[in-house]
Amino acid sequence: MWLALAGLARAQPSEEAVKAAFLPRFARYVVWPAAAVPEPVAPFHLCVIGRDPFGRMLDQAAAGEVIDGRRVAVRRAASAGQSGGCHLAFVQGGSPQETARLLLALRERPVLTVTDARAGPQRGMIHFTIVGGRVRFFIDEAAASDRGLAISSRLLALAAGVRQRR
Amino acid sequence: MNHRRLSSLFLGCTALAFLSAGRVAAQEPAELASLQGVPDLSQLSIEELAQLPVRSASKREEPLSAAPTALYVITGEEIARSPANSVTEVLRLAPNLQVQQVNARDYAISARGFNGYETSNKLLVLLDGRSLYSTLHSGVFWELRQPLLEDIEQIEVISGSGGTLYGPNAVNGVINITTHDARDTLGGLVRGTLGSNEHTLGARYGFAIGANSALRIHGNAFDRDGLRDGLGPDIDDGYSGYQLGFRLDSGFGGNVLTLQGNLFENDSDVLAGDGDRGGNFTLRWRREIDARSSLHVQAYYDHFRRRFQLVADALETMDLEAQYNRSQGAHEIVAGFGVRTTRDQFVNNANAFALDPTSRRLWILNGFVQDRFALTPELSLTLGLKLERSSFSGVELLPNLRVAWHPDPGHLLWAAVSRAVRTPSRIDRNLVAAPFLVAATEFRSEKLIAFEAGYRGQPSGTTSVSVSVFFNLYDDIRTAELIAIPLPVRLSNSLTGHSYGVEAWGNWQALPWWRLSAGVSLLGKSFRLEPGTTDTTGAAALGDDPSYQALLRSSMNLGDSVTLDAGLRAVDGLETPAIPAYVEADARLGWRVSDHLELFVAASNLLHRTHAESNDTNRAQLAERSVHAGTRLRF
Repeated sequence: MWLALAGLARAQPSEEAVKAAFLPRFARYVVWPAAAVPEPVAPFHLCVIGRDPFGRMLDQAAAGEVIDGRRVAVRRAASAGQSGGCHLAFVQGGSPQETARLLLALRERPVLTVTDARAGPQRGMIHFTIVGGRVRFFIDEAAASDRGLAISSRLLALAAGVRQRR
Repeated sequence: MNHRRLSSLFLGCTALAFLSAGRVAAQEPAELASLQGVPDLSQLSIEELAQLPVRSASKREEPLSAAPTALYVITGEEIARSPANSVTEVLRLAPNLQVQQVNARDYAISARGFNGYETSNKLLVLLDGRSLYSTLHSGVFWELRQPLLEDIEQIEVISGSGGTLYGPNAVNGVINITTHDARDTLGGLVRGTLGSNEHTLGARYGFAIGANSALRIHGNAFDRDGLRDGLGPDIDDGYSGYQLGFRLDSGFGGNVLTLQGNLFENDSDVLAGDGDRGGNFTLRWRREIDARSSLHVQAYYDHFRRRFQLVADALETMDLEAQYNRSQGAHEIVAGFGVRTTRDQFVNNANAFALDPTSRRLWILNGFVQDRFALTPELSLTLGLKLERSSFSGVELLPNLRVAWHPDPGHLLWAAVSRAVRTPSRIDRNLVAAPFLVAATEFRSEKLIAFEAGYRGQPSGTTSVSVSVFFNLYDDIRTAELIAIPLPVRLSNSLTGHSYGVEAWGNWQALPWWRLSAGVSLLGKSFRLEPGTTDTTGAAALGDDPSYQALLRSSMNLGDSVTLDAGLRAVDGLETPAIPAYVEADARLGWRVSDHLELFVAASNLLHRTHAESNDTNRAQLAERSVHAGTRLRF
């Protein structure tokens, strides 16, 4: 019987591939403050700041995403200085300290920050985690709300945990 | 504020997402696969993405999902959506466990047979690394364990011996309960339920301490009515209690330090002063030494005291263990040791049964080493050896050999042979009752050689399946031998035999908002007494197991904020004494009114007013239909 099953084989995706698929999808469930919403037809900018663990997988994932008629454009930046215009940012430095520095530079802007780091100053508004062999995420709604970002209850419901806004 | 406007926006988004999901369903599976054979993730809904099993890069984060064992994982989310109010009721979600509610206080839980309140003694249960089985009788006093359900991150349930890496008593199964890192539970949560049989109240609050640490304090209280009389005598089994605890997690560099502790007190309704109390304290340190190796050291102290009518017992445990993991080329090596000492006391003023001596210190030592190495990229071999020694046994050698074949990452075929033992408990060695029963100072370990094989995989992007078969050869199972006519009797090791069975379960994400799961387990047993021996208990140590159990579950997300979950279970009857097979159902409707407020109603044992799950003639009461309503507040 297993041979028949093997015939239907579909490869199990990597952790990075699923994270890459999540990232552009987050834009659908976030409402930015009016001043930060792109002009009609202009794309949402999804930035990878620091190291890029995703490569082409992220470009492919973003290419399939259209939100209210807007595309999601991927940009890569080595430092936070090049992050103007980002709506979402996956942030990963070479060390926890560097990640924290990159996040600090984004702190005054309405950017939805996403990290792998789960605690401390190197943790973004959303951080990925692995639960039961599946990619899940935690949402720091309080931090998002401080930057004027509203996160949809559908995304909150899917989170493995939420730090509520005050 | 503009809340209403926002929510209408979200509804629009949801409709869009549903439309795109509809596209997925209409396509042929083959069209979903991209060139590399990896599913086209962009076609999946965000809910489906969250359900997708992944290959994990880091070993530590890949708990057991790739392990060649019969493993079922209950996630925190499934717990939140289940009608269960206690961890024992939550365990009903695992198709590879058999859960019997004996009465309002007691449960009998086992994997692969030997179930019964007194006979389920071949299971290892861990709660955040603390071992919960009692050295008094090798069973678990489930009534002492009432963690806040919202704190549980996941429960791994392994049927089978679990291999080298688990501590003593992992003979027929392992239940590994882990709670959330405190850094993942910041903010407050309050849950209250009012029900026909039980009221519960639970709360927690998590604070960040500095940049890298967090502290959670939690409390939990319940008040449960007694059940209607079953096969057992009319007992007052109503039960109430509370638990208070904390967990502190602190990360620095590649280290994570965890401190946690709990205090609990439970009251039985019978005599004033009856009940259980205790506490525990754990210190754990994980260090990522470099990209390829890690170290894990843990120490804990646990004590409890139980008093019920004229019987009282107490147990104090101290435990130290360490584990080192290293990846080296094609090899993944794990080595470690554990030292545990217990001091117990058993006082019985109700009848002649006593432990001699009434109080005793025991030691259990174990050491283990395991190598999992890749013969080819698809084929890996795990060789493990555990040495176990207790005050009541010599050195036991517990080898374990596992083969795993990943023809591709979506499919795993595995087979295993392992040896496991249940070392003698205090009751096995020291129970006396003059003039009927004399101490069995020669009682040996009960032994198992287990043969297992299984398949686990994702036949398609929306389904997952696990099937395992086992054949267990047991020897030296406990009997009570008549050593002179007419008396006395002495506990002995004269039962030998085998059990066999199949466990299968699967999930199907039928629609982005609808998930179906089903599970079945079948069990057969055949035992005999060794020639020239007797067993005055009539093979009571084998327990009494249903030959089949089947579970069916449906989980629906109805729009943005409503969840509907329902389950059905069918369990075969028991034989001596006979109780009939039963079919029961449960359901839960949840409504997330806002991000801060959730309301729910839930019902258990919907189909009958009462039904029997246990045939324990000393304790069994009837499980009852129950309904409760509740709320969760988050802030």
